[in-house]
Amino acid sequence: MNHQCHWTDVENIFLPREATIVCSEQATPSETHFTLKMADGQPIEYEPGQIVELSLFGYGEIPIGIASSPTRKNTFDLVVRSVGRVSGAVTKLGKGESVYVRGPLGHGFDLTKLRGHDVLIVAGGIGLCPTRSLIQYILDRRDEFDRFVLFYGAREPSLQLFTDDLARWRTANDVEYYETVDRGDPSWTGNVGVITTLFPQVELGPETRAVICGPPIFYRFVVRELDMIGIPRENVFVDLERRMKCGVGKCGHCQINDKYVCVDGPVFPFADVQGLEEAF
Amino acid sequence: MTASFIRSDDFAAFVTALIEAGPVYGPVAKRSRFAFERLETPEELRLDYDVTILPPKKLFFPPAQDLVTFDGAGFRAALEPTEKVLLGVHFYDVKAIDQTDLLFSERNYDINYMAHRETTTIVASNIQTVSKRAFFASVGADVEPQGHDAFLTAINGGYVLETRTERGEALLAFGAFQPATEAQIAEAAAVNVAALERCPEELEHGTEAIADKVRAAFQDEELWTTLAADCFSCGTCNTVCPTCYCFDVQDTWNVDQTSGQRTRFWDGCLTEDFAKCSLGEGACENFREERAARFRHRLMRKATYLNEKLGGPACVGCGRCSAGCTADIADPARVINQIMAS
Ligand code: SF4
Ligand code: SF4
Ligand code: FES
Repeated sequence: MNHQCHWTDVENIFLPREATIVCSEQATPSETHFTLKMADGQPIEYEPGQIVELSLFGYGEIPIGIASSPTRKNTFDLVVRSVGRVSGAVTKLGKGESVYVRGPLGHGFDLTKLRGHDVLIVAGGIGLCPTRSLIQYILDRRDEFDRFVLFYGAREPSLQLFTDDLARWRTANDVEYYETVDRGDPSWTGNVGVITTLFPQVELGPETRAVICGPPIFYRFVVRELDMIGIPRENVFVDLERRMKCGVGKCGHCQINDKYVCVDGPVFPFADVQGLEEAF
Repeated sequence: MTASFIRSDDFAAFVTALIEAGPVYGPVAKRSRFAFERLETPEELRLDYDVTILPPKKLFFPPAQDLVTFDGAGFRAALEPTEKVLLGVHFYDVKAIDQTDLLFSERNYDINYMAHRETTTIVASNIQTVSKRAFFASVGADVEPQGHDAFLTAINGGYVLETRTERGEALLAFGAFQPATEAQIAEAAAVNVAALERCPEELEHGTEAIADKVRAAFQDEELWTTLAADCFSCGTCNTVCPTCYCFDVQDTWNVDQTSGQRTRFWDGCLTEDFAKCSLGEGACENFREERAARFRHRLMRKATYLNEKLGGPACVGCGRCSAGCTADIADPARVINQIMAS
């Protein structure tokens, strides 16, 4: 039969590891920002853009993109949006309590394609969470990259994530940060409008490498802008979200045509998925 | 490996010896149909079955399988595989097992499937009765079945057992086998060829032509909408398919409310919520919302997506989905022939 190894020599891919909550903070009314540390002291080794399956026994597992860079050692961040059984239970936990993680899973951002180039990151809504792993990475290894431009769009000011980070990026000189909200509020003095309204505000060259992560409708509009700048589609990377169960390429839930988001992605060169009818 | 012969009169004693040595599974009658079940006696074994209701995948990939168990003290893998013999698997199901073997072992090796697989001795058997919807002769005809340890063929006066592996060879010790003659081996080969000629349905085109045309039809919304018009999204075509292996994973508590298990359950891409994802604040996105999109996804998987990886189509022509679909729209032979003719 068809196999490379004997089952007794292999780890069970469904066994998670325990992680301890070092810090938990309510980021928005429905999202909680956790900082976790592996309970056995062995940090998980991951690339920006990879995912983990986060679980609580008795509730289940959910896939989440890691929201911090591996350059920040020992701990890692996850933002959990309370929408279901697992996330609802996890968001009730606080400092010192345990959760379980499996991973890292999938393919993250191919840093070899980004290093030495201008990088534009376009993040929408909760898409800022997985891209924050790359944002932090670039900021920590700033001299490996040329220009760094970051666009962030949220539906309204109260739904902005990582507000401490945003405050720093607004005045920082290691990132050109632009932000927008779909709907302002009385205290908002910044840009109002969809994400594409940020493009006319900055000059970008066709050599730029672009990264996109946002809600499903977002991609088409952003790619259109990138096309107009003349950025070739093989230099555009998309971080996609799908329903996931196993995270290891077996259960079939995350499939986009013949691609498995959990193992082939979640980050794909746009050129590899643009022809997939189920992608956008 | 070797070819041996056992007389019909000695066959029951062989099966009895196997049953005494450990669990043996084989096709047994279930009212007018058949199912793979654990054998209690050799008489139950029905090697004249046409097709079983569920494929043998249930032995390696059970409908509900605990992956992890937990309690107040911690958590652990739930796997406890046992050595067993699976008797009487038709070649199309062996081909399907080859596919799931590859898919569960590639990239991330899943011991929850592979351990059951590696502790099973598979004895394939010839097809004595052809089911009403079978088209196994015309689908992936150049793909040979691999993952069996021995092949049993009924001939005049007894059975020829051709062993393929050491495990298969070890079976010979359980029965009154003698070396098969050239004539017996030739008779067995002829019996197996004859079965191929009795399929009631057939694919009218080759694997590659089908893959190309089906893939090219992806955006023909009208085609898929028409094909799927009567679909109930029941997922039966997934459940009964030997090459389907999608699953859901869920945690459940035991009555004590502190212990429980993380279990995988068979799932099917035809069911409505299969690709539905919640995005928060009540919003969700169903990436295959329309029946037509789900119907199409299944057919794409069977006829195109996995071909390169598997070396052939991900359908083995057993006809289970065709027979199991209440609306009678799932039959891959009919659907594919229709697309090819369009
Ligand atoms: S094709 Fe038939 S068996 Fe499959 S989901 Fe639809 S109605 Fe059910
Ligand atoms: S698609 Fe239908 S005919 Fe093909 S292997 Fe699956 S159940 Fe059998
Ligand atoms: S989440 Fe199971 S295959 Fe991707």
